[in-house]
Amino acid sequence: MKYDYIIVGAGIGGLSAGLNLAFNDKKVLILEKNSLPGGFVTTFKRGRFEFDASLYDLLDYGNEEHIGSMQRLFKKYNLEIETLPIPYNVKIKSIDDKFEEVLKGEIDDWVLRLEELYSGSMSTFRSLLPVLKEVHEALVVLKKGRNVEKDFPNFTKYLDKNAYEALVDLNIPDATIHVLGYLWIEIGSPLNKLSFIDFAECLYKYIFKRPVALKNKNIDFSLKLAKRFEELGGKIHYRAKVKEISLENNPKVTLEDGTTYEAKEIICNLSERYVLKNLLKESYPLANQKENARTISMNGLVVYLGLNKPYQDLKLYNYRYYEFQNLNSAVNLKSMKKFSHHTIEGIVPNIVNEYASPKNTTILVLKTLYSSNCWNTVNKTNYYETKEALANELIEEFENAFHVDIKEYIEEIEIATPFTMARYTNSVNGCMFGPMRLGYDNSIHRLISYEDEQIPHLSFVGASSIFGSGVDNAFYSGYYITEKLLEKERKEN
Amino acid sequence: MDTTEKIAKLKKEREEIIESASKRVPEDTYIDKEVKKISSIYHTIITDIKEETKDVKTFTLSADKNSSTPNLAPFKAGQYITIHLNIDSSPVTRAYSLSSSPSLANKDIYKITIKRVENGLVSNYMLDNMKVGDPLDVSKPAGEFGYSMIKDEENVIAIAGGSGITPFMSLAYAILEEIYNCNLTVFYSVRTYDDIIFKKEIEEINKKKKNVKFVITLTREEKEGFLHGHLTKEMLEPYVKEFNTVLMCGPKDLYRSMNEILNEFNIPRKSVHYENFFVEYEPAEKLEYKLKVVMKDKVEEITCKNDETLLVAMERAGIPAPSLCRVGECGYCRSILLDGKVKMIGASLKKAEAENDYIHPCVSFPDSDIVLKLDI
Repeated sequence: MKYDYIIVGAGIGGLSAGLNLAFNDKKVLILEKNSLPGGFVTTFKRGRFEFDASLYDLLDYGNEEHIGSMQRLFKKYNLEIETLPIPYNVKIKSIDDKFEEVLKGEIDDWVLRLEELYSGSMSTFRSLLPVLKEVHEALVVLKKGRNVEKDFPNFTKYLDKNAYEALVDLNIPDATIHVLGYLWIEIGSPLNKLSFIDFAECLYKYIFKRPVALKNKNIDFSLKLAKRFEELGGKIHYRAKVKEISLENNPKVTLEDGTTYEAKEIICNLSERYVLKNLLKESYPLANQKENARTISMNGLVVYLGLNKPYQDLKLYNYRYYEFQNLNSAVNLKSMKKFSHHTIEGIVPNIVNEYASPKNTTILVLKTLYSSNCWNTVNKTNYYETKEALANELIEEFENAFHVDIKEYIEEIEIATPFTMARYTNSVNGCMFGPMRLGYDNSIHRLISYEDEQIPHLSFVGASSIFGSGVDNAFYSGYYITEKLLEKERKEN
Repeated sequence: MDTTEKIAKLKKEREEIIESASKRVPEDTYIDKEVKKISSIYHTIITDIKEETKDVKTFTLSADKNSSTPNLAPFKAGQYITIHLNIDSSPVTRAYSLSSSPSLANKDIYKITIKRVENGLVSNYMLDNMKVGDPLDVSKPAGEFGYSMIKDEENVIAIAGGSGITPFMSLAYAILEEIYNCNLTVFYSVRTYDDIIFKKEIEEINKKKKNVKFVITLTREEKEGFLHGHLTKEMLEPYVKEFNTVLMCGPKDLYRSMNEILNEFNIPRKSVHYENFFVEYEPAEKLEYKLKVVMKDKVEEITCKNDETLLVAMERAGIPAPSLCRVGECGYCRSILLDGKVKMIGASLKKAEAENDYIHPCVSFPDSDIVLKLDI
């Protein structure tokens, strides 16, 4: 059977690509190896708890007032989801800096707090806001393939600057820069290697289109996307594991069971590295070079805890908790090279969503990241032992860092390692954020070089592709790439 | 520089960095290589069969070194594997708890212990037909049942009914080998002396007087050295401490009676774990329905009795439906109910799955004619 498009992988990027193509009346087949859609955006059940694997803050969706690009697309596709606002409520701690603060309330409240701490924060932060808007608007123009001349002097000025350089140039106090950069420590891009354009676009979304939480579980979100795709005429085959992709002559995809499907174009919701290594029949030296030059992002350990007490009793009053060794992302990165947990992220979904877990219970998700090959000492003889020991340490360090008691209230626990993530999603090295956004390989660089680096009849969407990780970026990549393909189709006809 | 010039400069820089990199296909990392060794099916060979009682045998399965899976996956004490057989040209599976030490998996060995079930298709086939040297395909170990160093207490009380003893043998070895640091008392409820599985192993472990102890009660026989009758509060009392973790594996009746006893000891819900072992369902009236299975490229119409699951009906008809735990827990068999009504016994469905008409065919009994979407 011949399709217009075959999409390998029903992650958020793949579903988004499928939605846009099906909306444009194309004949689309999505092949998914698992029995449910969503990739990382999934949910698993343990006892009376349903744990969301990854999506807690949805960026770029916005609310009724501030509509994000994802919401705009959802409206176009007639897709409805229920969302809840996420207030600013983050506790950040840094060991080296002896820093411990809660950023809470309205934006003016916590910027005022930063001003109290570091004089000059408020005025410079205010002058940063129009720059963020300008960068965002310039990117909108650039993504439409138009010229970004003249109207965006700040975009031009900071286009080749890293986030740290640019923020210094904007006179933001050094300590404030590092506090503002906390979100990037999590992803592993140090501010001095992260493009200011990438930084600004993310902060723009964060401030102007406040993140929202899903009222329902991750898997509900993924199933809604998949269902709408099918209603629009698309087809999904689950339990369909792809063995080979061949592009020469007629592009085709072969499953492990030997079934072959042909299409005019193939879109992979997988990392380029995975496809080059494992699926592509032909060899593309330039694509190999592009991958070999890249740095794979971090992998980590995620511990999902179902606690048998309400969050108030556990004194877990913040939505997110962070403990870093050092607030300077470049310094902190070095502490992530070994099996220590000096970078801890904690999420308490119950703070924003009363439906997150059964009454009088709390979910706490703890995460830590590793930037080197420390997992190389883990093999089948010590796997379960290491995994439990690391999770145990992580829980204890969280308890110590934030002066709370967690352990005795654990009713359910699940631990995800890089092996778990690699097996479930085919992510290379079990990494969570695709190729790292660093130096020459930030999202802005991928965007401007996109057309020159394309493999004929093969495109990539998802968190490992052009716009980087995050559900907002994965979803947008599906839209952006398929728009490009549809445009090409129109030109050819 | 203006924007166009800057963009050109950035592109050139990028191009140069990419051009200096190797043209070879990117290599697997250590993690990638390890993950590639994990398979959903492992090919093993039966290397030993031991008769435990007149209707129970332990099968030693060793990795088939000449196959695509020369090494077996590790497991945690309490987990199960699902065996794959082809009986009378029907693909069938059954899940069995691993009864061997987790450390034996490092030597690529699993052991499962199978009890003959009256009219049981697979158990009879295994006990009567399988011999040393026969190949057997098994799943990757799975299941949540077992001991957690993080959330469980140091004093562990295990309650086993009949062949429910198997996961606790594995746990006992794990504790004796210091994989876990805890005290284990296994209460093993069994009909008669002759029905005791692992008699010799249990005797040896009890002789060591270490941190693992077995207490056997015979429900249908009185014999010196053994307790008599169903488990009571008095039998457990000496072993209950301030904080306890209770693990149970056996028939549902046992869980019901034990829960009453555990309530008296005030053991909190979070400290009691059950292994789902049996699916028990008896329809009021025996009926037969039509079952239409919509697969990727074909549709098959078969029949399904209301005292058998949709999974069993599909297997009988030769449809290779996926299955793993067969007790509704793991979700591996999930399929969409396009039309009809089913009685689902103990399926662990997520809310969104239930809202989207997903069912677990392994625990679904038909209540009408059925149309099922099965993605194979």
